[in-house]
Amino acid sequence: MKLSFGEDVERFRAEFVAWLEVNRPSVEEMAAEPAVSSAHVPGWARAWTNRMFRDGWLVPGWPPERGGRNAGAIETLVYLEELEKAGVPRTTNPQGLGIVVPSILDYGTPEQVEEWAMPVLRGEKAACLGMSEPNAGSDLANLSTRAVLDGDHFVVNGQKVWTSGANYADFCFLFCRTDVEAPKHKGISVLLVRMDTPGITVRPLSEIVHPAHPDLNEVFLSDVLVPKENLVGVMNNGWAMANGSLAHERGMVWLNSVLNLEDDMRELLGHAAGVLPQLGGLERGAFVDQIMQSYTDTMAARCLGYRGFAKLVRGGSAPEQALMKAFCSEAQQRLTMVASELDADGALDRTDDSAGRYAMTWPERYFTTFGGTISAGSSEIQRNIVAEKVLGLPR
Amino acid sequence: MDLEFTDDDDELRANVRSVLASISPPGVVREIYEAKGDAAAVWEQMVELDWPGLGIAEEHGGVGMGFLEVAIVCDEHGRATTPGPYLATVTQYVPMVRELGGDHAAALLADVAAGRTTGTVALAEAGSWDPASVRTTAEERDGVWHLSGTKSAVLDGATADRIVVIARAPGTTGTDGLGAFLIPRGAAAASSRLVLDETLPVADLDLHGVVVPVDRVLARPGSPGVAAAIERANQEATVALAVNAVGACRNIFEQTVEYAKQREQYGKLIGSFQALKHRMADMYLAVERASALAWFAVLAIVEEDPRRAEATSLAKAAASDCERLIVRDGLQLHGGIGYTWEHDLHFLLKRAKACDALYGNGIHHRARLAEIVGLTGICTRETTTTRATTEDAS
Repeated sequence: MKLSFGEDVERFRAEFVAWLEVNRPSVEEMAAEPAVSSAHVPGWARAWTNRMFRDGWLVPGWPPERGGRNAGAIETLVYLEELEKAGVPRTTNPQGLGIVVPSILDYGTPEQVEEWAMPVLRGEKAACLGMSEPNAGSDLANLSTRAVLDGDHFVVNGQKVWTSGANYADFCFLFCRTDVEAPKHKGISVLLVRMDTPGITVRPLSEIVHPAHPDLNEVFLSDVLVPKENLVGVMNNGWAMANGSLAHERGMVWLNSVLNLEDDMRELLGHAAGVLPQLGGLERGAFVDQIMQSYTDTMAARCLGYRGFAKLVRGGSAPEQALMKAFCSEAQQRLTMVASELDADGALDRTDDSAGRYAMTWPERYFTTFGGTISAGSSEIQRNIVAEKVLGLPR
Repeated sequence: MDLEFTDDDDELRANVRSVLASISPPGVVREIYEAKGDAAAVWEQMVELDWPGLGIAEEHGGVGMGFLEVAIVCDEHGRATTPGPYLATVTQYVPMVRELGGDHAAALLADVAAGRTTGTVALAEAGSWDPASVRTTAEERDGVWHLSGTKSAVLDGATADRIVVIARAPGTTGTDGLGAFLIPRGAAAASSRLVLDETLPVADLDLHGVVVPVDRVLARPGSPGVAAAIERANQEATVALAVNAVGACRNIFEQTVEYAKQREQYGKLIGSFQALKHRMADMYLAVERASALAWFAVLAIVEEDPRRAEATSLAKAAASDCERLIVRDGLQLHGGIGYTWEHDLHFLLKRAKACDALYGNGIHHRARLAEIVGLTGICTRETTTTRATTEDAS
């Protein structure tokens, strides 16, 4: 047990911070063209991704030809911390960089890596992830989008929903059913599908916050022809990739959750400093107690995350990580709720759409925290998983 | 930040757990509760194993380990609801004596390390462990010190061999004028309280008329560094209680899960009901959340991190959140059986509650946190400014 990292790690941090100062996108250019969806890559973001790729800072843990520098897990953690501190997004296409590319690198052919993964790493293309369907949400294995091999092509028919960034993405990492006879988990395959393929209709689903900047979409697929060489990995091996995708997603997602929570907390403390003095003593005391409750959550999230991380680095298992997603998103919900209530006047406001998708008032932020508690396995599902897999309670 | 235990830590924990299972099993705890036994044998065996001196420096006859190892014992001590003078002696008296330093420290620590004496700290008054709340006074007259005041909830206050009394020079307030005095058992009239947790006996001390010779003054009132030393010792005592509470809570949680795997109703194991699964998942999270912050605080103390004070209050606040949920749901999910005196669960429930009350509960430590992160400072400052502005305007 120790609180600090070694000298090597601190040298790594210093090197990255120095590079970041010179190469980061400016606050002005980011504000001039805000990203409006999770697959929208504005000009500055494309150039930024490209600079990171060129200098080996895009995915530090990967080799140089993939945009990295063979850094270790602790270095990667430090790198993500510094990016967050600088207020610079690592990517404006998180599913592409975080899930789709690693999956193609793990399972794809060399040609697929060149044609689909590398352009995302260079900031030239954006990807979306086609998983959920109307009848396959938390129960993904129930998906029914059908892909039938007919000569050189798969013919795809079906519907996806909640597809983040489908309205901006260049291609989709699409989970389809390729064997209807096999048990649910065993008949699923993944196809790489260009979003401009005839037969694809994307219908954005406006959300309860910033309806002008929808990120979630319905994707309708009607007799969509996909070349058979776009099959990723082995036929009917999609379930392994689905689990792999989530593993990629969960690998360091906890850190982003923790860093976001810390950012929100810093902001809440500043907000509170402005509002508390105007309140009466009893009201102030009640708010202080709740704010400090959130402060405790925030510090706990960091300690829990790092403890689990230390176990994983040593090759052990960290069952408590299973609850990190539910804990962090619910902690964020409590925090933004208190922050909204702290300023009753401001609690009536929303942001002007021209500020982009990610500028929000506290009550708008509160609503968006439900993205964390509902998506990618709702908090209730996470509790079931912990109860059954970690605590060993009967099904 | 690496909050993972090493193999050595795990080995120590396993060893402590097996020792405590043999020297303070639930049967021994029950004898204390039912006034059929005392904790003398428990302490004797701890002395035999050198546990009192675990965190005391080798030059003072101790084992020379640190607060991390002491905390591991505290964790298991909570889990087993172990009775006896360990907590007061090792996590309150020893840190206070060590931090106050001075001519006496070496001999006093050596006495503990050798198992010759037990000790405690008389700090709290009227439910507050904040040194600034101390009203007990110490005055030097005719070459001796005269104490005056009342201490409350002194752990082992009626039984510890030696007591460090925190008192202040008359007329001082806040952290100014604080001093520390050593009195032997019996010097002050101790009234034992009827306690919820029979394994953590507390007593109130009447210090009126107690006289302390000059050579038993650990720190003269107002001498430099006293307030800081008390603060540092308090941090160790507070974190030790947080760890102890988490140890008890983890045990309640584990027993609850085990019970839910065995108890059948409506022809089904109750652990298969989703309503209960979700509550147990929340219990798990509460224990892990509190545990992570408790060990963060232990490390902050061990490494002399500047966040010591913050980490201490975080740990105690999180232990409080944990205790609130675990005691409630642990008892609720056990159903009627957990409500009976015959079942051992209540030893743990009471330990968790007692640890929460000692050295400030969650609400107290969240208020402290607000001070530490500067919220109340901002409030006071800005209130003054706001007032001034309003007055200017009118």
